[in-house]
Amino acid sequence: MPVKQSKHKSRLKENVFTLPFFSCQSIITYTPFLSAPQNPKFPFDSISVSQEQPAAVSMAIAAPGQLNTTESPTWGSRSVDCFEKLEQIGEGTYGQVYMAREIKTGEIVALKKIRMDNEREGFPITAIREIKILKKLHHENVIKLKEIVTSSGPEKDEQGRPDGNKYKGGIYMVFEYMDHDLTGLADRPGMRFTVPQIKCYMRQLLTGLHYCHVNQVLHRDIKGSNLLIDNEGNLKLADFGLARSFSNDHNGNLTNRVITLWYRPPELLLGTTKYGPAVDMWSVGCIFAELLHGKPIFPGKDEPEQLSKIFDLCGAPDENNWPGVSKIPWYNNFKPTRPLKRRLRETYRHFDRHALELLEKMLTLDPSQRISAKDALDAEYFWIDPLPCDPKSLPKYEASHEFQTKKKRQQQRQHDEAMKRQKTHHQQQQHSRLPPTMQQQSGQAHGQMRPNAPMQLGAGGGPGHHYGKARAGPSSGSNRYPQGGNPSGGYNHPPNRGGGPYPPPQAYGRGGGGNSGYAVGPPNYSQGGGSGAGSGGGRGNAPMGGNRGQQYNNWQ
Amino acid sequence: MLAISDVDQNPLPENTESDSATPRVLSILSLVLERMVTRNEMLSLNSEGGRRLGKNLEVFHGVRPPAITIPKYLDRIYKYTNCSPACFVVGYIYIDRLVHRHPGSLVVSLNVHRLLVTSIMLAAKILDDEHYNNAFYARVGGVTNVELNRLEVEFLFMLDFDLTVTSRVFESYCLYLEREMLMWNGTKVHNESGTRTNAIEDIAEISVEDMESFSSSISNGVLA
Repeated sequence: MPVKQSKHKSRLKENVFTLPFFSCQSIITYTPFLSAPQNPKFPFDSISVSQEQPAAVSMAIAAPGQLNTTESPTWGSRSVDCFEKLEQIGEGTYGQVYMAREIKTGEIVALKKIRMDNEREGFPITAIREIKILKKLHHENVIKLKEIVTSSGPEKDEQGRPDGNKYKGGIYMVFEYMDHDLTGLADRPGMRFTVPQIKCYMRQLLTGLHYCHVNQVLHRDIKGSNLLIDNEGNLKLADFGLARSFSNDHNGNLTNRVITLWYRPPELLLGTTKYGPAVDMWSVGCIFAELLHGKPIFPGKDEPEQLSKIFDLCGAPDENNWPGVSKIPWYNNFKPTRPLKRRLRETYRHFDRHALELLEKMLTLDPSQRISAKDALDAEYFWIDPLPCDPKSLPKYEASHEFQTKKKRQQQRQHDEAMKRQKTHHQQQQHSRLPPTMQQQSGQAHGQMRPNAPMQLGAGGGPGHHYGKARAGPSSGSNRYPQGGNPSGGYNHPPNRGGGPYPPPQAYGRGGGGNSGYAVGPPNYSQGGGSGAGSGGGRGNAPMGGNRGQQYNNWQ
Repeated sequence: MLAISDVDQNPLPENTESDSATPRVLSILSLVLERMVTRNEMLSLNSEGGRRLGKNLEVFHGVRPPAITIPKYLDRIYKYTNCSPACFVVGYIYIDRLVHRHPGSLVVSLNVHRLLVTSIMLAAKILDDEHYNNAFYARVGGVTNVELNRLEVEFLFMLDFDLTVTSRVFESYCLYLEREMLMWNGTKVHNESGTRTNAIEDIAEISVEDMESFSSSISNGVLA
């Protein structure tokens, strides 16, 4: 009966079962760990309801040979050594992102390392979710998770043999490589999207999202930096760390603490826990408006301000325009004191008529009246001249990633300091290109990595897209990012604790270092993201640092 | 929690001493698992290559079978982690998937506990709004944090991250578990005496009713 005896001595050590269990019992009694759970988790992703075939229930008793065989080669069977890391291109909450080349095929991929260093939490739930969902989604407008590879790391046991733990050195998700993200692209100095280009991106965004929605997946973090774009003009949805399955019949009890603040719909801000695909459509509306308008339309710094910005533009919700709104948990806390008219048409009267019409339907307060991805694709906007262009006809841009630009910015700052520039000059410097030496360096590196890259090296290779704030708002301090830190800092707090619907303002103000919440918060939302040292940002206003990562962590 | 949890406490001898607040799904699951373990151990004893049968699950093997019984172990997990009862069903689904994906692996007394704590923890991580972290599950499960983390990763890879459980699959497993329960009760009562036919009907009736509330309350609680 005992199938295996203690062949390895090390096993003995590990086997806690041999200590009679009840030592644990006593631990249980003296440790106060029955207090609040360590991580105020993430709202349950629950049993999802979609594609899986209704498996026949068969039990696990049968002898070998009788059972189904595995369908596909198991993930995790290959080592990360099959890839050659070229350059770090990002830094996310759950690890670094590298551009890498598969040695055998020469194919360029993105490797996202899953952070396993939080021992108490084990495998990050965001990674589990993302893998679980991306495994099921296969669409040209959804980022492709190619496989998962492992690295055994340098650890050896006492005898100097590899300790057999092939995951020790890390676990990596292998994605197809994408050159840009929408926000990064839009922020490039001098960048202006043409109308057919905007239509082309929007149509791809809606197509990808429609696919998610019919497969009953809510993305829950649609924003420019999660829309990746390659040099073929293809747009793909990425970062499914917050995504979850939903079902039409069990509609309820989802967390309202999702979606980056500026793209978060009013129903979530008002505290609803019953929602569906319409939440993603609001975000799409925000992005659409941003593309047309040239900057984010609802840059709130906290939830109350976010709501008031929405109400200012879209009018105040009431039982007429949004039946049932008064029953949403925090409606009474936030309903405007004075009546507000919808001013969307008036504000954006310079937009194309069909664009405005579509935008109206996306930025509809009542989620049940908001347009669906499918209907949006049928909107006249996409079917009249100028038609959406062919993705392949779009210009190719030199790749730039947040991480790289941040690094360059940092280098520049160091350079600036070295030059002992005067403070007054500093501001001009920010918009200038990198000094020639830097430019050359980066150019070389790039050329090495991608010998066939069609782009012109060095062009725009200086300060990246975050640098050239060509369209920044009025004051010099203005920024795409909310003041006072990470808008998602509040996610470290379980909903509804501490009185009011929203934690006190300082709870959001986790600037700078970023990432502080990883251990305690619901994992993905503590996206401070910043790469520690580098995250101070080149603009000298430290509190923004954390946000950068958060906004731009495409690969998280 | 389950409405039925306190309705029907009579059927399982294994469970007689257990807390009356224990959801019935734990009893059913214990029953099914214990039977599976017994059968598998017979199988591995009888077959020449018996030792190889559990090979794929080696990482889950202990040196000797833990002293704690399956029902007590499940009960313990339930009591301390307060995970939702559905996690037990989903955990069971994961174990079932695992052995289907890896023919030749057998759930036996040496590995069943580790498989359970790992799968239930993963289920809770995915299903439950509030769940304890790995460190906590490790203490409850009687393994070290490091080992449980490793088991978790092994489990995920062995499952190929196939963690999606549709409501239909979920319900079908609930039905299966219920049926096992009924059958077990039926045979037991039959064997004992003919005078208790009423009891069979009673049990059947209660259980069928329970079954509905069982699956629906579980799914309502968690599928939402």
